[in-house]
Amino acid sequence: MTAQVRGLRQDGAAGMAALLEIRGARRSFATPEGGRVTALDGVDLDVGANEFVTLLGPSGCGKTTLLRAISGFEALDAGTIRLDGQDVAPLPPFRRPVNTVFQSYALFGHMSVARNVGFALEVRGVPRAERDRAVAEALEKVGLAGFGARRPAQLSGGQRQRVALARALIARPRLLLLDEPLSALDRGLRQQMQIELKTLQHGLGIAFVFVTHDQEEALTMSDRIVVMRAGRVEQTGTPREIYRRPRTRFVAEFVGETNLFETVVERIEGSQARLRTPEGLAFTAPARGLAPGARATLVLRPADFSLGAAGAGIAGRVERAVYLGQDLHLLVRPEAGGPAIRVTVRDGAAAPEPGAKVSLVHDADAAHLLEEAE
Amino acid sequence: MRNPAGWLLLTALSLLFFAFIYAPLLVIVGYSFNANPVNMMVWDGFTLDWYRGLFGLRDRTGDALSRAAYVESTDQLLAALRNSLIVAACTTAISTVIGTATAIALARHRFRLRRLYEGLMLMPMMMPDIVLGIGLLIFFVSLGMQLSLLTIIIGHCTFLTSYVFIVVQARIAGIDPALEEAAADLGASEWVTLRKVLLPQLAPGILGGALLAFVISMDDLVITYFIAGTGSTTLPVFIFGMIRRGVKPEINAIATLIILASVLIAALGLWLRSRRIDR
Repeated sequence: MTAQVRGLRQDGAAGMAALLEIRGARRSFATPEGGRVTALDGVDLDVGANEFVTLLGPSGCGKTTLLRAISGFEALDAGTIRLDGQDVAPLPPFRRPVNTVFQSYALFGHMSVARNVGFALEVRGVPRAERDRAVAEALEKVGLAGFGARRPAQLSGGQRQRVALARALIARPRLLLLDEPLSALDRGLRQQMQIELKTLQHGLGIAFVFVTHDQEEALTMSDRIVVMRAGRVEQTGTPREIYRRPRTRFVAEFVGETNLFETVVERIEGSQARLRTPEGLAFTAPARGLAPGARATLVLRPADFSLGAAGAGIAGRVERAVYLGQDLHLLVRPEAGGPAIRVTVRDGAAAPEPGAKVSLVHDADAAHLLEEAE
Repeated sequence: MRNPAGWLLLTALSLLFFAFIYAPLLVIVGYSFNANPVNMMVWDGFTLDWYRGLFGLRDRTGDALSRAAYVESTDQLLAALRNSLIVAACTTAISTVIGTATAIALARHRFRLRRLYEGLMLMPMMMPDIVLGIGLLIFFVSLGMQLSLLTIIIGHCTFLTSYVFIVVQARIAGIDPALEEAAADLGASEWVTLRKVLLPQLAPGILGGALLAFVISMDDLVITYFIAGTGSTTLPVFIFGMIRRGVKPEINAIATLIILASVLIAALGLWLRSRRIDR
């Protein structure tokens, strides 16, 4: 429901102004070789007042440059950034009402944890007593009450992460920027922090813009994901939209494991389209205005397949089986030829071994066709 | 397990190494207490006379030998020491400020000819002292400047700024630029960031550079020799003048006191560093 509203706002149809509004952001850098590389190539982005937006993309896609343009560490060649309707271009970083959690945390090693957390208030000239109260409250909020007297060097990675968070939040910014803040943590801690961050963001009622190249992280936390590629926004949507209905091949391959099939529409049967690959594999997908003879790229996630009775669906042979506890990842080579298909099935007594013959059936409702013409 | 023979060899080598370095110093310290005024090589009993003589405390009437002007006068020695301290203090202050500012500018800002600038900063350090000394002398004379403490201070600053620069530069290279960005992000202006974040982070480097500048300035002979005027003799120039008239026992006493002062300064520096154990 909210996703729907946000989706509309993204298209500029909603009347309410966004907290952050970026239009036509462009930025290129000179390379040491004398050429120019485009980091931002006309990016539009809106972030609502209490929204968790993730900028997702491979390194070099421009997501960090966009974040630094919002915080003021990079200037744009063209385009505007508005916060609460106000153009921030003339403001230096220290006058912008946003705060950042840095990838390296960037804690001040010569200060105590308490002074680190209270730094934003210190430079604003907030009186000592008031500052101490706010610091204690902020440390409490991130679960570090009583750690104020320590030095950052005496904390673990996860604790430093929390200090950086408390420090960035103490001035009550309406927008918090996070630059891959979890990448230095080990997996268990990272998953815990993902949930805590989301809870914190929701509770504080502020907007987060979170940069990551980890698609799992993006899917877990975000209200909305902005997939970026080569300085452009490839697709914007809720995690489910991004995962289930990728618009382009890039998004489909970058977010989660996927199987892509180049197909031609054979015929339309009511609301369903019958598709066939050059190798002769047959699929069924929602018709969505397709005409017979049209070319379409089909997206099927590994879990959209299941093992069917012999003779039904796609016949193939298991090339590899990876055991993952509850699930089993299979790589199935179709007998008709073509690339191997990635399949995830529940592990059980009937789990196939490598070399076994299987037949794959797929969930026609889950099948998705890419918008872009291949 | 450790190889005992190898371990023994390594220990012996270390001991030899330290003996090689410190034996000359110990010899000077020993001779400064030798009562034999004529031949230092012959131990003639313990005395503090040479120290007393330095400070004019010794009754000279009964001692014809030492009354000969080895130390022209205590006043001259103390004047030289005072000159050296004035020069070292001024030079340290000036070169620390300029060297630190330059290191920050070169590390944090991109501008044209940056590499050239950096090279020019390091050049005086590579330059042979004698060349620098002659160059400075000609420069001052052609400007019509009277050789004085001022010319020595200017001369020392020309190369000590390089030392401070290189020490601070090494320190700044290890500081994450994100620290300054974080400060700005939290609302600190450039000036506040410099004062509250960058300078405290750089402090050990700045202190190290300043101590180095102080010690080198106190110690410099060659360059100072060219640019010191008659009234502005520094301690090393003064000692060099004494030695030219023969190595006399008072020199051992002076040297011993300098060693003591150096050890104290070094200890101070180490203590100041150990007080801030953080990264």
